[in-house]
Amino acid sequence: MGEILENSKISSRQAVFLMVTMIFATVILSVPAITVKHARQDAWISVGLATVAGLLIARLVTTLGLRFPERTLFEYPAEILGRWPGKLVGFFYIIWFLHINAGVIREYGEFLVTAFRPAPPLIVFNLMAVAIAAYTVRNGLEVFTRANEIFFPLTMGLIVITSIFASGETDIQRLLPVADVDAVSIFKGAMVPLAWFGEIVTIALVIPYLNRPRESHRAAVTSVLISGVVFMLVVANAIGIFGPDLIEAMVFPGLNKYRIVNLANFLGRFEALAMTAWVTAGFVKISIFYWATLLGVSQVLELKDYRSLVLPVGGVLMAMSMLDHPSALHLQHFEAQVFPFFALTFEAAIPLLLLITALVRGKGERLG
Amino acid sequence: MTRKAVSLLLILLTLVCLSGCWSRREMSELAIVMGAGVDRTPENRIRLTLQLARPAAFGGGAETGGAGAAERQNITWVVSETGDTIFEAERNLALKISRRIYWAHNIILVFGAEAAKSGVGNYVDFFMRDPMSRENIWVLVTRGEAKELLESHSELEKTSAQSIGFVERNKAGLAVIFKDFAMALASRGSNPALPAVELQKLGEPQGSGMEEEKQHEEVVMTGTGVFKDEYLVGWLDTSETRGLLWLRGEINKGIITVPSPGRPDKLLSINVARARTRVEPEYDGENIGFNITITIDGELLEQQSGEDLTIPEKVEEIEAAAAMDVIRKCTATLEKAQGEYGVDIFNFGEAFHRKYKRDWKELKYQWNDAFAGAQINIYAEAHLRRTGLLTRPATVKK
Repeated sequence: MGEILENSKISSRQAVFLMVTMIFATVILSVPAITVKHARQDAWISVGLATVAGLLIARLVTTLGLRFPERTLFEYPAEILGRWPGKLVGFFYIIWFLHINAGVIREYGEFLVTAFRPAPPLIVFNLMAVAIAAYTVRNGLEVFTRANEIFFPLTMGLIVITSIFASGETDIQRLLPVADVDAVSIFKGAMVPLAWFGEIVTIALVIPYLNRPRESHRAAVTSVLISGVVFMLVVANAIGIFGPDLIEAMVFPGLNKYRIVNLANFLGRFEALAMTAWVTAGFVKISIFYWATLLGVSQVLELKDYRSLVLPVGGVLMAMSMLDHPSALHLQHFEAQVFPFFALTFEAAIPLLLLITALVRGKGERLG
Repeated sequence: MTRKAVSLLLILLTLVCLSGCWSRREMSELAIVMGAGVDRTPENRIRLTLQLARPAAFGGGAETGGAGAAERQNITWVVSETGDTIFEAERNLALKISRRIYWAHNIILVFGAEAAKSGVGNYVDFFMRDPMSRENIWVLVTRGEAKELLESHSELEKTSAQSIGFVERNKAGLAVIFKDFAMALASRGSNPALPAVELQKLGEPQGSGMEEEKQHEEVVMTGTGVFKDEYLVGWLDTSETRGLLWLRGEINKGIITVPSPGRPDKLLSINVARARTRVEPEYDGENIGFNITITIDGELLEQQSGEDLTIPEKVEEIEAAAAMDVIRKCTATLEKAQGEYGVDIFNFGEAFHRKYKRDWKELKYQWNDAFAGAQINIYAEAHLRRTGLLTRPATVKK
């Protein structure tokens, strides 16, 4: 069934690269501020907790997916719940992917407009992102997966290298005292990064296209682990540089970090590199969710080809990216207050219910 | 064939887009800010002063004018304008300046004494919020007006802003970047301290074009401005500033001068090669105490007396004297900070917070008072590791 629509085959390593880029593209910019607001200098503990919870979600999603190794998250709800309830679940997922992608596109544009204040209006950046992503997804999963394989060392390398450069300004004492805030605050701080790590649910769409689906457990867990550990270092690094007081007031602490880098008094202003990493990774992330939406629509509606959907869905994405949030402030509020619940419903709650129902009804095979 | 034609057309089309000139900014369209100053006018408005670079005058040839050196051009242009906010003043300036005001290369931010006394809280936000301004600009406070300070020139560097920026970068005295200043403002466990700068006539006029009436005043560092929260409350002189740096553990360079062991009328100067400061808070529920341990690695770089100092006993004596000198400087600074101003500019509150996180929740709201009453013990340990290229003065008759 999957073969007709999408005949890509990707390796486990490519899947890991794809998932890490997807998680990291947006988590690095605004999430540190939200987490630090709750957990202060213990934000890295929050990220650690979120990583552990993210690993559980990864395990949950792949366990569910491997019961139906030939099918995606848009298809097996129909097998588990029956045709129409299953289609309804698939429909909700389409809406979800549209919304989070609209948010990503908006943040992509807002970041460029806020931090670099160019003359063109926001819509130009959003349009460029969607247009490039449209061309990419039209060529299928394999194409942007391979493209990402080239980008990955660039994006992650830049993030890691610039963090090392910035470490000259780091004072490790700013991470002390440990456990200064109460446990509740640390858990609150973990919610938002968890919502990001939970995006690993997207692997449920990729499992049928893996050349070794059985490796999806390991791929998903590795992806969350890499994202979690690197993000923890990024957050600890940022706290070491700015201290919790300044970070919680910042919009993009991940960016400010690179602005103060000064190597040997002549190498500085690394934010251009940060922007390169962000624009590349953001483009990959937009492509993934764009592709997910296309796949979802065609599988739920049982179409044979999704290429005719590229333009209409792109138009919807454009409109939603401009209309979902009236301002960057609204987007930040949404990310901090609403997104964790919105995201985790689809990342954890629905997959869990599906898995329980599948177990009770004895649907699917036992593979993993 | 058509395929090829279309491909070619598309490639040409990308050329149009790739030049990327939508928001291009040419050097010749920018007014590059080298230094910014904030003063408060008597009417309680903000006066923003900008030292702008004149790129035309930056050209290399000006100083190598061959026969009859060319007239020295004014290399900067200093303008100021008032407003109710920094941004408003900046926009008012834009009405006067023919080019776009470009903050990204700003080196220093100076607060005038009056502005600092009335609280810097109103002035700092713009410099963090505006993406063009950097977190690593040097922040200073002047005893006079920031405007006057920025109107100065430098003999050695192109602009006075660069000159003071390089002095800061050498970390000879207190050096504070905007990020650290903002952190000290935000933290309950510390108060900001900024390097104090003044104008002074330095050096003698030399050569043609440097007649006395044309001699400029240069920006020099003369100590530290002490803040209580956002308000400037007082000053430290250069010696007390050394004490501040010792207590903060920010000594990068410096010397300690002590009497020669056998000849108290002659002096020795020890260069500080390495220094470490450990702050250990103590709290028994009532009394706050701090044990400060300063470890110094030094090398002897000047000796006035003729005696042989390679004897271990004498080295120990020198080390003890050096340690005493550091303790004396620290004590003087502490007395001023605790007694006269009652502010913790040493980040001791942060150290206390790290060790007693529960008690901190209560104490942090009146930390400066708690700090003023704290018992502070300073221990210093100096090690003389090297003696330069000589063991004893080579020119002394035996």
